[in-house]
Amino acid sequence: MSVPLWGQCLTYLEDELSPQQFNTWIRPLQAEFSDNVLRLLSPNRFVQDWVTDRFHGRITELVSQLCSEQAPRIIFEVGSSSTPLPTPSKRTVTPDPLPETNRQAAVDRSRINPDSTFDNFVEGKSNQLSKAAAMQVAENPGGAYNPLFIYGGVGLGKTHLMHAIGNLILARNPSAKVIYLHSERFVADMVKALQHNAITEFKRFYRSVDALLIDDIQFFAGKERSQEEFFHTFNALLEGQRQIILTSDRFPKEVKGLEERLKSRFGWGLTVAIEPPELETRVAILKKKAAHAHVLLPDEVAFFIAKRIRSNVRELEGALRRVIANAHFTGQPITLDFAKEALRDLLALQAKLVTIDNIQKTVAEYYKIRVADLLSKRRNRSIARPRQIAMALAKELTNHSLPEIGDAFGGRDHTTIMHGCKKVAELKGLDQIIADDYAKLLRILST
Amino acid sequence: MKSHPGQQLPLRIGLRDGATFTNFYPGPNAAAVHALQAAREPFLYLGGPPGCGRSHLLQAACHAVSEAGGLAAYLPLEECMAMSPQMLAGMEQMALLALDDVERLAGNAEWEQALFHLYNRMRDAGHRLIVVGNAPPAALGIALPDLLSRLGWGPVFQLQPLSDSEKSAALRLRANQRGMELPAEVADYLLNHASREMPDLIALLERLDEGSLAAQRRLTIPFVRPFIS
Repeated sequence: MSVPLWGQCLTYLEDELSPQQFNTWIRPLQAEFSDNVLRLLSPNRFVQDWVTDRFHGRITELVSQLCSEQAPRIIFEVGSSSTPLPTPSKRTVTPDPLPETNRQAAVDRSRINPDSTFDNFVEGKSNQLSKAAAMQVAENPGGAYNPLFIYGGVGLGKTHLMHAIGNLILARNPSAKVIYLHSERFVADMVKALQHNAITEFKRFYRSVDALLIDDIQFFAGKERSQEEFFHTFNALLEGQRQIILTSDRFPKEVKGLEERLKSRFGWGLTVAIEPPELETRVAILKKKAAHAHVLLPDEVAFFIAKRIRSNVRELEGALRRVIANAHFTGQPITLDFAKEALRDLLALQAKLVTIDNIQKTVAEYYKIRVADLLSKRRNRSIARPRQIAMALAKELTNHSLPEIGDAFGGRDHTTIMHGCKKVAELKGLDQIIADDYAKLLRILST
Repeated sequence: MKSHPGQQLPLRIGLRDGATFTNFYPGPNAAAVHALQAAREPFLYLGGPPGCGRSHLLQAACHAVSEAGGLAAYLPLEECMAMSPQMLAGMEQMALLALDDVERLAGNAEWEQALFHLYNRMRDAGHRLIVVGNAPPAALGIALPDLLSRLGWGPVFQLQPLSDSEKSAALRLRANQRGMELPAEVADYLLNHASREMPDLIALLERLDEGSLAAQRRLTIPFVRPFIS
C-alpha cells in the first residue's frame, strides 16, 4: 500500500523538483505505511529538517489528492525501515540471543569481515613480525600479548590482520564473543547510549566480550569522555584476561590527544609495526587479489603496477581494480600495453606527462577565456597575459621545441615564445598575483 | 522565452528529462560509464573538470539504484557543507551514495574525517560509494592520509570533456530522447554561437523544447537564433 502511494508521489515530485533536489532530498527517504499513517524515514536529522521545512506542504497536498478516501497522516522521522538503525540502545539493551554455535551467526554478530583471513594475507619482510604476533594472539587470546597493538601507515593491512585474528578466534571457538569496531563507532555508540540513558548497558556490553578489536585508536584523540569509558573497559577486559587488539597510525606514545594513562597501558602488551611492502610483496599481493577476482594477471603486468604504485596496498588494489574494470569493459585480456593504457591517467600523474593542449585548456579555464582566444591574434592584456603564461608553462612542462610550441599557439614565431617566457619570468618577480596564478597552474598541471 | 498572449502554454508535466544513463552520451568516457553501470565495485572515484557530465552520471547511478528498489542519495558537497558533517550520519543505509564536488572538503579537517568515517561505514554495510572531484585524488589537497588512500581504493577514472563534435552528438541524443529532432546543422549552429558548456547547452535545449512545443515549430536555424542570448 505504501509503495504505490509513495511511488505515485515520487513521480510527481520528480517532475516538479530539480533533479538535484530530488536526488538529494527525496530519493533517500524510505516510506512505511501502517494504520493509515505514512511514515517517511530520513537517514539523519538534517535531511529530515530539510524535507519537513521545504516539502512537507507539497507532500501532504499530493497525498490527499492521490487518496480517494481518507488521506493518511504523514509523519517525518529519522530512521530506517528495512534494517533497524543500529543504535546502541537497541543493540546493547537487548540481552544477547541464546548462545550460538553457528559460526556464521557469530561472525555476523562480531562485525568481523569473513573475507579478511590469514590465508589471504600476503606475508613479506614488512609485515612478517606483525603477522606472527597476530597468529599467536589468535591462537591464545587473552594470553601473554595483551593488548596487541598494531601500528603503521595507511593502507598497509592493519585492519586485515585484525579481522584475520577475529576470524581465527571464531573458527577455533565459535561461541567466543568477538567484537570488531572502528573507534568512531565506539564513540558514536557511547554518545547514543548517553542520550538514551543506556550507559550501564553500554558498559556491560563492552565489558562482556572475549575479544575487543578497535581500529584506528588515534581517532579517540580529544574525546575525553570516550577515553575515560574506554579506559575502564580496557582495565576490566585485561583483568578478566580477555583479549584487546588495537590499531593506530603510529606508535602508542606518539598518538596525539590521548591521555597518558591510556598510552602507557597500550604499551603493556606487545606493540608491532607494519611497514610498507617491498616490491616482491606488492607483486604477490597483486597476484593474489587478481586470482581472487578470477582474473589472469601476467607477471610482467604485476611488476609494472607494483613498481609504480609504492605507497600502500590500498592504492595498489585500486590500480588493479582500474585495470580489471577496463578488461571487463573491453573484453580484452590483460597485457602490458593494456595495463599501461588503463592506468595512463594514474601514471601520467607521476610522470608529469603534460600536453600543450592540456596546458592551453587548463589556462583558458583558469582565466575563464576560450582556448581559441589563446590561439588568436588578440593583444589586449586579458588575453595576452594568460597566453604568455600558457607559453611559459608549455616550455617548463613539456619537451616540445620552441617552434613546436609556437605552432601550437596559432602559428607564432619561436621568438614570440621566448619573449613570452621572459616576460612571465619578470612578472613573477614583480606581481604576486601572477606568481600565485603561475604556481597554482603548475600544481594543477603537474600533480 | 516569455510567452505571448494567445500563445498556448505547454504543460509542464513530463517535460523535464531526468539524469539517466540512457540520455548520457558516453563519448570518450565509455569505460567509466560502463564501470558505473556494472556496479561491481563498492568504491569508485571519478575525476574531471566541471561540465563533463559528472553530476549527470552520479544522478543516473542513483536513478538506476532506485529503479531497482534500492535506496540512493546524491550529495552535492557544496550544499551539504552548509550544514554539519553530521549530515553524513546514517547515510550508510543507502545502497548507493553519490558524493559530488569532493574537492570542497579538502583541507577541512572535520569534513575530511567525516568522509573517512563514512567510507568505513559504507564498507562495513557492504554498500556503494561513488565520489566525484575536479582532479585525481592525489591532486585534491586532502590532508588526512586515511581519507586520501580510501579515495583511491576502487578504480579511479579521469573523465574527459567532450570535443565539439561529441558535444553536437550528445545534444542530438538528448534532443532525440525528448522526442525532438535536432538536425546536425542546427546542433553545430548552437555550438558555434551559444556557450559551449554542456550544462548551458542542455539548458538551452530545454528552452528550445518548450519553445518549439509552444510555437508548434521544428528546430531550424531561424527558429533557434532568438533563443541564443
